[in-house]
Amino acid sequence: MMKAKSKMSGLLCLLIIGALIFALSGCASSNGSGANTASSGQKTVIEYWHVNAQTQGGQAVDELVKEFNAQSKDVKVVAKFNPDMYKGLMQNLQAEKAAGKTPALVQIGWAYLDYFSNNFSYLDPNEAIQKYDPTSKSFLKDNFLPNVLDLAKTSKGKQAGIPYSLSTPILYLNKDILKQAGLSQDGPKTWQDVQQFAKTIKDKTQKYGFYMQEPGDTWAQQALMLSNGAKIIDHGKAAFDSPEGVQAYQLYADMVLKDKSALHVPWDQGVTAFINGNVGMLYTTVAQMSNIEKGAKFNVSSIPSPPFVGKQPKVPAGGSFLAITAQTEAQQKAAWEFEKFLYGVKSMATWTEATGYVPPRKDVATAKDGLKDFVAKNPMINSALVQMGKAVPWTSFPGNSGLQAEQTMIDTRDKILGGQASVASALKDAQQQINQLQK
Amino acid sequence: MGKALLIHKNQIIAYLFIVPSLVIFSLFLIWPGIYTIYLSFLNWNLISPDKEFVGFGNYVALFQDPNTYKILINTFAYIVILLMLNCFLPYVLSFILEYVITKGKNFYKKVIFLPSIISLVVGSMLYVWILNPVSGPVAVLFKMLGISLPFWSNTNGLVIVVLSLITSWKVFGYNFIVLLAGVSNVPRGVIEAARLDNIPLHKIFFQIVLPMSSATGIYVFIMTIVQGLQYVFTPVSVITQGGPNYASSNLIYHSYQDAFVLYKTGQSAALSTMTLLLFVLLLFLEFKFVEKRVYYASK
Repeated sequence: MMKAKSKMSGLLCLLIIGALIFALSGCASSNGSGANTASSGQKTVIEYWHVNAQTQGGQAVDELVKEFNAQSKDVKVVAKFNPDMYKGLMQNLQAEKAAGKTPALVQIGWAYLDYFSNNFSYLDPNEAIQKYDPTSKSFLKDNFLPNVLDLAKTSKGKQAGIPYSLSTPILYLNKDILKQAGLSQDGPKTWQDVQQFAKTIKDKTQKYGFYMQEPGDTWAQQALMLSNGAKIIDHGKAAFDSPEGVQAYQLYADMVLKDKSALHVPWDQGVTAFINGNVGMLYTTVAQMSNIEKGAKFNVSSIPSPPFVGKQPKVPAGGSFLAITAQTEAQQKAAWEFEKFLYGVKSMATWTEATGYVPPRKDVATAKDGLKDFVAKNPMINSALVQMGKAVPWTSFPGNSGLQAEQTMIDTRDKILGGQASVASALKDAQQQINQLQK
Repeated sequence: MGKALLIHKNQIIAYLFIVPSLVIFSLFLIWPGIYTIYLSFLNWNLISPDKEFVGFGNYVALFQDPNTYKILINTFAYIVILLMLNCFLPYVLSFILEYVITKGKNFYKKVIFLPSIISLVVGSMLYVWILNPVSGPVAVLFKMLGISLPFWSNTNGLVIVVLSLITSWKVFGYNFIVLLAGVSNVPRGVIEAARLDNIPLHKIFFQIVLPMSSATGIYVFIMTIVQGLQYVFTPVSVITQGGPNYASSNLIYHSYQDAFVLYKTGQSAALSTMTLLLFVLLLFLEFKFVEKRVYYASK
């Protein structure tokens, strides 16, 4: 009996080891399959990864893909939706790469610019044009503003992709509340005015004066600091702990903590409160335009992002760029063909109308087959169009801990607005922490 | 000899039956577990070509980070609240419906179970709307009474309570049904006899029903802890992303955030390993001190 038992445990060990080997080989075998260059019939099939749900331009993606597939002789695009925005897409891309595969064309959120360029291999669009489309050599130069193209440049100066979805923060106004509070319906001219307006609204109407978006990033808060002449990053080092940075954040913190005129809630709750007519002014992305226009039952308008007194307004660009991650020549060529189609005036117009993003191309807004009619019907987008020249890159902290740095900025925002730390000390700590990370 | 051979053969067949589940178990639990421990010694993001071995560096960093302790305390806060809401409360309710107010039992059973079949993501979004502190229906109602709601999703402590409430909305019904089955298995005669002797209800509950249904009770108790931690993940992810400043994060969400939002896979693996050890310890304590006293009717 004893002998049989020891034999049995030996067998058991064998089984476990066998199972483990099976598991290992299961993981390994998926490594080999590589990019899917399988062609259906004659066409090269490529995957396009996007983040646009049906309510957020997903229908436009399907429409554009269908149109492209109908007119292309040799390429078939398969669009793949990735839930949970750019973060979700990055997670899936990471998993795909760990399995040894990559799609051909992907949307990358600006905050991931550095992480993406450090960890994935991509094709510089300049190279793509040179290699696969030499006749349109000046495509990028002719069609894009230089400051817009720079948005997709890595900290090492390489072009990681081409800007696609562009958004900037704008200030939405509830004109009815402004009127009720006896304020100018043209809205505030500077951030100092915003504070005054918010206070007046609170005093006169008992409603909240202001809400600045607080999603899982500090994009809007960066815009605030930039518009007071502060720098977020300087020569690769965090530099927001400057007198300008502190002053800007202080104004915002005072609105929340001292005046109690500004809301401090997560993003969707803040936007809902504005749409329901409980907040006078809302500082959020232009991409919320159609959502707000549809929902608001009051007179709503918008103005460009204001500066501080005596300073220039600056807005970090949000949204995404398109990067070619295809690895084989056939896939790369096909990816560029599709990408070029997406940047056509007509496609861009379809895209903007469906999403509210600002077109990255120079001429789309005024072109007849472009957005001329749309802009006339949706004047709010003008606020974003006029500030395109003031768009600067959304700070993507360099290095592998860049994403941790952004998280530190979020934690700092929570500490300041929660009243757990003074602006000066919180920003000082954050800057120190971030610069420590990068060592 | 022949008998030994027979036993041998039977044992082989027995093991053959175990093989399928053993393979699945190794593939999806044991192997990832081992791999996680391996990852916890690396500074790596799963795809980068440079894989740096850092020894116990990730563990040291973990213990030096004040947020780790904050998150540990949060985790226990969630456990305590969820045990109250999802274990004790449904226990009492099932007792009441089984023995005290039996009218409408079937109706309550269905109504209370209903939320269990709805996705927690949907539930979270629903509650964000209902509990919007400025414009939600609850806020409007309270405003009429002159009370303004606190910004719960940005308030330390309160945020944990609200997220637990949202989670219990989903878990409560299932636990209730399971406990009801356990409670109704207590022989009716015992209860009747106690009532004839004018034993007060709370004594019947604590001294008769609770011990006699403890097999079900302990199951729900452990599942509440384990599942509660995992279910909390969804509202945290949908509503607060662990904020404000980690005040609503728990061990599981933080592991996820480190690995799949910030791509600090090594640190996340270290945290997961610590979580695993912690719960092994808790389970050990449970087996040592509680399991012996559990009453199994069939034994």
